Amino acid sequence: MEGYMKEGRRVYPTEPRKIMQARFATKYLNYLLHALTNIGKPELSSTLDCCVNKEIDKMVRYEVDMALALSAEGFAWSHALKHRLRLNVNNNNHAGKSQSYLAHHDDHRTKMPVNHEPATKKLKGNPKRSGTEAAVEEEEEERLTYLRKLIPGGSGEMMVDDEILLSELGSYVTCLELQVNVLRSMLQLT
Amino acid sequence: MLHRLESLESCNYNGMDVAVLEKQAAGLKWQQQNYVVQNSNLVDLCASSVPQFQGLFGSNLGRGQMIELKRPEVFLGSDDFQEFVNFPVAGPEFGDSEKLDLVPHEAAADYCISRTSSCQMTAHNTSVMKEEREDTILEKMESAIGSGKESFNKRKAEAVADHKSKGKRIKGEGESEVKAKCSTEISRDSSKENSKASEVQKPDYILVRAHRGQATDSHSLAERARREKISKKMKCLQDLVPGCNKITGKTGMLDEIINYVQSLQRQVEFLSMKIAALNSSVENLPMKEFPAYVANFPAAAKLPEMAGLPSYFQLNPLQKESVNCMLNESMLPPQTATEGIASASVSSSSGITQLQPFSAWNMDPQGLSNMYNMGFY
Repeated sequence: MEGYMKEGRRVYPTEPRKIMQARFATKYLNYLLHALTNIGKPELSSTLDCCVNKEIDKMVRYEVDMALALSAEGFAWSHALKHRLRLNVNNNNHAGKSQSYLAHHDDHRTKMPVNHEPATKKLKGNPKRSGTEAAVEEEEEERLTYLRKLIPGGSGEMMVDDEILLSELGSYVTCLELQVNVLRSMLQLT
Repeated sequence: MLHRLESLESCNYNGMDVAVLEKQAAGLKWQQQNYVVQNSNLVDLCASSVPQFQGLFGSNLGRGQMIELKRPEVFLGSDDFQEFVNFPVAGPEFGDSEKLDLVPHEAAADYCISRTSSCQMTAHNTSVMKEEREDTILEKMESAIGSGKESFNKRKAEAVADHKSKGKRIKGEGESEVKAKCSTEISRDSSKENSKASEVQKPDYILVRAHRGQATDSHSLAERARREKISKKMKCLQDLVPGCNKITGKTGMLDEIINYVQSLQRQVEFLSMKIAALNSSVENLPMKEFPAYVANFPAAAKLPEMAGLPSYFQLNPLQKESVNCMLNESMLPPQTATEGIASASVSSSSGITQLQPFSAWNMDPQGLSNMYNMGFY
C-alpha cells in the first residue's frame, strides 16, 4: 500500500488521522502554553487581590477557548468562537474577560435538562398519540435549536442550513475531543 | 494506472482552484479519519476494479475515465480534492441499482461507484458517509469557484460508463446490511421494484431519484434531497459520538449528541479550572516536555529548531513515558464525563505530588517564553 502511494509526485499521508491530530495538538499547545506563561507572570497589578484566582480562571478559560479556535481554522464555529472571544474582550473590562461567554454557556445549559429522558419518555410512552410526524419534527427542531446554542455561532447566519449545522457539529465534536485529550495530557504531565 | 491518475492533475483546473481547494482541504482533514481503517482493503478494491474499468476506457471522454479510476484513491487519504469537486453529492440510494435491466441512470451509477467501494471495504459505510459529507462541503466550495458545468459534464460521461461495471459488484454484496444503514426513507423507497427515475439538474448537482408513485416536482425532489443529505450527516455524527450505534431515531441521536457536546464542554471547563489552579499554585507549568512531545509527531518534523534546543530539554525516562502516553491518548476518544472527572481527580492528586521534583527544573518565565519563540514561531 505504501509503495502504491509513494509513486508519483504526491505524498499521501499514511495515517491522515494521526497527522491531523498532531497538527491540532501542536497548534493548540503552542498557543496555550505560551499564553499560560504570560498569565503566570505577575502582571495583574490592576486587578483585585482577592479575586485573583477568579481572574486567572477566566483568563485561562479564555486562552483555552482561543487555543481551540486557532487550532481549528476553517470552520464556521471556530470563526464564530474567535469573534465571540474578541468581542467579549472589547466589551468587558479586563476583569470580566470571558465572563459573558461562560454565562451564556451555563445559562443555556440549565435551560434544558441534562438528560433528555423526560422529553423522550413522553414520546415513547404514547407512541400512537404523539407519534405524528409533526410532533416528531417539532421535537427534532427543538433539539436542533438547542444544539445551535451549544455550538459557537450556531445561531448565526452561517449555520442557518441544517446540513451545514450538522457538518459543523461533527467538526466541533472532534475538535472538542482533541482539546480534552490535550488538556488532560497536559495535566497528567504536571 | 498510476500514470493516468497523475495526468488528472493536468485537467483543467487552474492553479488557483487547486490551491483554494487544498487550503480548505486542511480544514477538512478531520473528515478523513476512517480512511486509515480501510486502506488495506482498498488496495484489493483498486486491484479488482482496474480490469473492469479498463473495459470502459475506449468508450468515453478521457477525463471521465480518469476520474473514475481516481475514485477509490480518495479513500487512501489523498489530499487531492479535485475528485470531490467532481462528485459533489452521491446519495446512498441503492434500491433500484439491484435491477440491472433498468435504463442506466446517471444517478444510480454515481451512487453505485461510491457505495460499492464502501461495500468492499468494510461492513459499515462510514468512509462513504465522510466522503459524501466532504462532498457537500466541497459542493459549497465548488459553487464558489464556479467550475460547475465542467464537472457536471464529467459526471454525465462517467456515469454512463460506470453503469455496466457497477452491476456486477452490487449483486451479491452485503446489500441488505448497507440498506439497513440507509435512512428509513431510502429503505422504504428501495422496496419498490420499478422506478421512474428523474433527475434534478441543479447547479449544485444534487441527484435525486423519484420512485414510483412519488411526486416529481422540483419542490419535493429538493426536499427529499435535503432530507437525504441530512440523514447522511446524522450517520456521520453517529460514528463520532460514542455509544450511538443502537439509537435509531433522529431525535434520540440528537439527544445523544447534545449530551455528548455538553459533557465535552463541561470537561473542558473542569480541566481549564484545574490548569488555572495549577497555574496559581506553581510558578510555571513544567513545559519542557511539551516541545519534545511535539517533536515526536511526524507532522512536527518541520521544526528543525528542536534539535538545537538547549540542554535542559533532555528527556528523562518519565518524560518519555508521558510523551508516549500523550501520543496514545490523543488517538482515543475521551471517556464519558463521570469517568473523565473521576480519573482527572485521581491524576490531580498524583499530579500535585509530582510537582515537587519538577519545580527543581523550573526556569524563569522569560527564558521559557524565549525558548518557545525560538522553537515554534
